[in-house]
Amino acid sequence: MIQIEHLHKTYRSGFLMKPKLALKDVSLHVESGQIYGFIGPNGAGKSTTIKVLTGLLNFDSGKVLVNGISPRDVKSRRFIGYSPEQPYFYDYLTGRELLQFYGKLVGLEGNLLNERITWALQLLHADKDWIDRRLRSYSKGMMQRVGIAQAILGKPKLLILDEPMSGLDPMGRRDVREAILELNRDGVTIFYSSHLLSDVESISHRVAMIVDGRIVREGTVDEITDSCGIEYHVRTRTAIPAKDLPEGVALAGHPQEVICADDAARDRLLRYCLDNGIAVEKMDHKRPSLEDILTEEIARADA
Amino acid sequence: MQTLKHIGIIALNTFRESIRDKILYNIGLLAVGLALFSIVLGEWSVFDRAYVIKSTTLSVMSLSGLLISIFVGISLVQKEIQRRTVLTLLSKPISRATFIVGKYLGLLAVVAVHLALLTCIYYSILFLTNSEPTVSLLTAIYLIFWELAVVIAVALLFSSFSSTILSALFTLGVYFAGHLSNQLLEQIRFASRMGEMGDTSTALLEKLAVVIHAVFPGLYRYNVTSYVVHGLALPDMYLFWNTVYAIGYVGVFLAIASWWFSRRDFL
Repeated sequence: MIQIEHLHKTYRSGFLMKPKLALKDVSLHVESGQIYGFIGPNGAGKSTTIKVLTGLLNFDSGKVLVNGISPRDVKSRRFIGYSPEQPYFYDYLTGRELLQFYGKLVGLEGNLLNERITWALQLLHADKDWIDRRLRSYSKGMMQRVGIAQAILGKPKLLILDEPMSGLDPMGRRDVREAILELNRDGVTIFYSSHLLSDVESISHRVAMIVDGRIVREGTVDEITDSCGIEYHVRTRTAIPAKDLPEGVALAGHPQEVICADDAARDRLLRYCLDNGIAVEKMDHKRPSLEDILTEEIARADA
Repeated sequence: MQTLKHIGIIALNTFRESIRDKILYNIGLLAVGLALFSIVLGEWSVFDRAYVIKSTTLSVMSLSGLLISIFVGISLVQKEIQRRTVLTLLSKPISRATFIVGKYLGLLAVVAVHLALLTCIYYSILFLTNSEPTVSLLTAIYLIFWELAVVIAVALLFSSFSSTILSALFTLGVYFAGHLSNQLLEQIRFASRMGEMGDTSTALLEKLAVVIHAVFPGLYRYNVTSYVVHGLALPDMYLFWNTVYAIGYVGVFLAIASWWFSRRDFL
């Protein structure tokens, strides 16, 4: 559904048009029917990538195809629904008028348009009184729901959402999450960026992590977290002197608790305990979360 | 077919947006006030009352239309970019040229409605003051409409790549150049015939005036107030050829605006 290969994008700003490389050799493949999470810190290139996909930004080099068509071609947008980060709309319209406007732009009219609006609002739990109020009175959460509703009106094959959960309360987040899952069950491919990594972990089939314009990790959540290895937290009945700790084993803060960086370190520690008659009280394995990995990648990029 | 439909939808939305703009009402009220004031001017003037009312009201129509075309025209595209509504709009299956043409037609419709309302007021004033409300006056209003059609296209062109203030200044510049280019050329040729300037400077200035005359739209063609007020006939096919001329310029300006706009990045 989405094919990005060796994508480069430079922004030029200021009087001297100083270049800044925003995307550096980005490559991504999103298969049909997937929910694809796109994560990274602010300014990493998430929105830039999304805007290239929707034809809002030109790019320097590389290959970008959406459903086999270049985003430079208007036809590619027939299959796309897009909701930008912090969506802004014509505030002199009501929510319903706005949806009618966008619905007509994707070729809907008459009863079909009204039915589709009702469906979209119900899916997002936005079929409330406020939908007939002017948009200038809307909260951020209401705006976000209307933004997603306008994106799905045309029943797109690919739904691109830039930070769809931002500005939503926990109920709103749950509603959007459920809407994403339901649309996906109906066969819609979803490509979305988010800061809320717990949501990304729970609903994404695959995830790409972008830091400083480069894709640093890509795969399923399990593949990404497994690739970083598993830590073992071991608690012994008596403390092990710091100088005697085997390689790859470090104190965890508590005198009787140590952390083994990987399987080999765990084996070295267990061997040490057996040799020295130290009883192991408890051992837990802990896989790093996406947040841990992202934090580590950001630190690496900063360094 | 689909493109025409999209243009219509965007034009309708632009019309709806513009008629809710406070600037429009301020300019409209000012125009109505000035048109009514033309009655007083007619009474005070040493000239023929009907002449004063007709020429003043036509000038008011032209000026108020110009203000709407420039002030609403330059903000049409900029507002979409600044408020970031352009992001959602251009992610739909519409080309950037469709967007530009839709915006243009929406504002043109606003100007048409503005002129239509003022025409009603204009004729009411002429009837009430018994000032010979002839049908030929519509010719002048028709040409004002096409003049404004060109000005809106200029405003859209500049606003597709520059800031609001610069766009307003550039558009005003084109407006004045378009009105004065003919006079400038005639004056230079006159001075040249009278031998008031040296040969080199005359040739250089004349070339410059010819370039200005050729490049800028000749908006002076659309001011026929003196003809219609005095009941003089316009040359044959004047309306037709000047309509074609305006459409040609509008086409070129919108094509450049669309080309430029399609190269823009929207952050």
